[in-house]
Amino acid sequence: MKTTLKSIFALLMGVATVWSFTVPDVAEFQAPGFARIFLWHFPCPMLFTFLILTGAWFSIRGFQRIELKPWRFEPETDAMAKAMWDVRSVACMELSYLFAALTMATGILFSEIQWGAWWSWDPRQTSFLMVLLIYAAYFALRFAYTDPSKRAAHSSAYALTALLPTLFLVFVFPRLPQILQMSLHPSDSILGGKIKGEYAYCVIFILILFFIMTAYLYNLRVRAGLAEIELDNKNERLDNGGDSAPTGVVRPVSLSE
Amino acid sequence: MNYSWRAEILAIFRKEWRTEMRSMSGLVTAFLFSVVTVYAISFAALNSKLPKTVIAGMLWVALLFSAASSLPRTFLSEEEHGTADLLRLVARAHAVFWGKALFNIFQCVATSVMLSILYLGFTSTPVAIPWLFAVSLVAGCLSLAGAVTLCGAIASQASNRSMLAAAIAVPLLLPLVALGVSGMRVSLGDGTMASGGTASAIGLIGYAVATLATGPYIFAAVWKT
Repeated sequence: MKTTLKSIFALLMGVATVWSFTVPDVAEFQAPGFARIFLWHFPCPMLFTFLILTGAWFSIRGFQRIELKPWRFEPETDAMAKAMWDVRSVACMELSYLFAALTMATGILFSEIQWGAWWSWDPRQTSFLMVLLIYAAYFALRFAYTDPSKRAAHSSAYALTALLPTLFLVFVFPRLPQILQMSLHPSDSILGGKIKGEYAYCVIFILILFFIMTAYLYNLRVRAGLAEIELDNKNERLDNGGDSAPTGVVRPVSLSE
Repeated sequence: MNYSWRAEILAIFRKEWRTEMRSMSGLVTAFLFSVVTVYAISFAALNSKLPKTVIAGMLWVALLFSAASSLPRTFLSEEEHGTADLLRLVARAHAVFWGKALFNIFQCVATSVMLSILYLGFTSTPVAIPWLFAVSLVAGCLSLAGAVTLCGAIASQASNRSMLAAAIAVPLLLPLVALGVSGMRVSLGDGTMASGGTASAIGLIGYAVATLATGPYIFAAVWKT
C-alpha cells in the first residue's frame, strides 16, 4: 500500500515538472521561459512560514508541559512529553530551514536572469537573508547544549523569541512604503491577482505536492527523533542497572569431586 | 517571606548595581568600546564628509555590538560564579528578568548617550530632529536591553556561553537596526518624517513593547530548567 502511494506521488511530481515547463509564457518577465522557476519558488516561502509557525506552536506546547504559570515552583511533570514536543518542534524547524534555503537558492537564480545580478541587495533578498541568519543561530544554540532537557527548553525559548523578528521581516518590512519603492521584487503577484489561469493552477498543484512531501518528511523525522529518545532511555536504564538481573541470584556452578 | 513584585525587582536591580559598582567592569568596558569605536570610524573616514545614512548606520552598528558584548554579562556571570541557583531560590522568575532588564536598560541608555555625543562630535554632524533622535535612541535601547537580556539567559547554561549569547542576539536585533537606522537617518536630516521617520519611530516603540512584554514569560520557562 505504502509503495503504491509513493509511486503515485512520484508520478504526480513528474506530471508537475512537465506541466511547469509547458505553461504559457508570462510577458511581464524579461526571460519568460526562466520565469517558470516562480512555480517552484513560490511554494517554498509558503511552507517555510507554515513550518515556523507550527514549530513555534510546538515550542509553546513543550513549555506548557514544563510549567504553565512561571511564578509557581512545580516539579517537572512529564519529561517524555517534553521531549516529544521538542522532537516535533525541531522537525518543523529543520524542514523550515530547508525551504528557506530553497527559497533563497531559487530567488538568487531568478535574480540573475531577471535583474542581471546574483545578489542585488534587494530589500526582500536582504530581509530573507536575515531570516536565514536568525534560524542558523537557532541550530547553533541547539548544538551548544548537550543535556537534552536544557537543549529542548532553551531552543524552544529562542524559537519563540525569533518569531517576532521573523514575522516582521517576512510580512511587514518588505511592504513598508519606502521599501516597496526600492524593491524590484513584486509584492502583489498573488493578492493583486496577477497569477491566474494555468499558471495559478500549476502553482497550486505544486504547492499541494510540496505540502504532502513535507508531511511525509516531517513524519519520518519525528519517528527518527522518538526512536533516538527511546534508545537513550533504554541505554540509561541499562547504565543504571534497571534491566539487569536482580542481586542475590546465584548461578549454579558444578563442582568436581 | 512574601515580598511584593516591586521590592523583588528593586532588590535584583540593587544587587546588579552594587556588583557593577564593586568592579565597574561593565561600564568601563562599554565606555572603552564606545571611545575606540568612535575613534576607529573617524580614523577610517579620514576627515571626509560621510553621508547621513552611513553615519546613522555606523552609529547603530556600534550600539548593536556594544550591547551584544556587554549586556548578556548579567546572566553569564551568575552561572560563572555559581550564584544562579541561589537566585532561583530567593526570587521569582519575572522579578529576576525585570531587575536585570532594568539594569541593562540603564547601562544601555548610559552607553548610547555617551557614544552618540562622542560620535556626533567627532563627525561634526548636527541633529535636525532632536526628538526623533531621542525616540530612536531610547526605544532602541529598550529593545536592545530586552532582547539581549533574554538571549543572555537563553545562552547562559551553554558551554561557550559568552560567544553564543552575542551570536544569537545579533541576528535577532538586525530588524531593529534596520528600523533604527531608518529613524536616525531622518533625525540627522536625510529624508522627511513622511519618508520613514514616523514609521520607524512607531516600529521601534512597538518592537520595544513586544520584546519587554513577551520576554518575562519566555524567560520564566528557561530559568527553571
